[in-house]
Amino acid sequence: MALFERNPPPSSSSPTTTTTSTANAKSRDGGALNGRTMVRVICTAGSGALEYTHAFISAYAADHLRGAVAQRLSVGAYELLSNALNFGSVSSDIVLELIEADTLVGVRVSNEAIQARISMLSEHLLRLRSNAEQTFLEELRRSVTGGIPRPMLGLARVCHEVGLALELQVQDRRVSVTAQCRR
Amino acid sequence: MSQFTAVKVPKLETVAIQLTDPNQVKLSGTITQKDPSNDLAGFFKALHAAAIADKLTEVRADVSGLTFVNSSAIRLFVDWATWVKNERERYTLRFITSRNVTWQKTSFTALMSLMKEVLAIEQVT
Repeated sequence: MALFERNPPPSSSSPTTTTTSTANAKSRDGGALNGRTMVRVICTAGSGALEYTHAFISAYAADHLRGAVAQRLSVGAYELLSNALNFGSVSSDIVLELIEADTLVGVRVSNEAIQARISMLSEHLLRLRSNAEQTFLEELRRSVTGGIPRPMLGLARVCHEVGLALELQVQDRRVSVTAQCRR
Repeated sequence: MSQFTAVKVPKLETVAIQLTDPNQVKLSGTITQKDPSNDLAGFFKALHAAAIADKLTEVRADVSGLTFVNSSAIRLFVDWATWVKNERERYTLRFITSRNVTWQKTSFTALMSLMKEVLAIEQVT
């Protein structure tokens, strides 16, 4: 892990960008999160960075944000980073950022992934957007029955359990998932 | 002699575990290990086997002090409920939860809806 040591890899010269959001039009938590990066952590897929990065981000958020917001972002940071470490490509860095804007705050994790993973993620977010609670229940049910592929409880928790809006941005093979809420 | 209280309690860095009664286990702290089943699945399985051997009618799992768990840890609780459901001589698995801890409210409410024949949820604080 490095703090503020390396820059994220440059994007392609002719990027194709798509965006998916779990927030509906009326949600106050949705929209692009552009603001000040409070923390940036860079790590590598497959590394053991999850636990200590999560502990650091949780402690930092608890010190700088309202308690309830910090608790929600702690869950978001854990699940997003866990996914990136498990499914991200080892050929490029994983970047986790804690970002604050005027009205929103969130955690963004970006990594490269294969197209099949990106498609699976997009579909999962659409299901969450449609009904987060139902998706959470379905994933929990798949845990009971030992579903294949492996149940995807993490993002369902982020959406349903702590009520963060998820924004997915895909630029070629680089995926950025942001979990955000009102400050 | 109670087999339940004789189960060996694992020592983990982030979670404290105590057997506080002949039918009660208390967990507090956080479960953030990437794969907590390495440490906890065997322990829960041993508690389950001991509860069956002791012919307990209820096992109380006090998780009210668990402030954060990852998805893999939630699956461990799902597994435990599934083992009970698959037994002919069942006991009730009662989770003692805190209404102040968000993950407990949503996860156990959802789990209850899937396993209501073997689970009970009690809220404290």
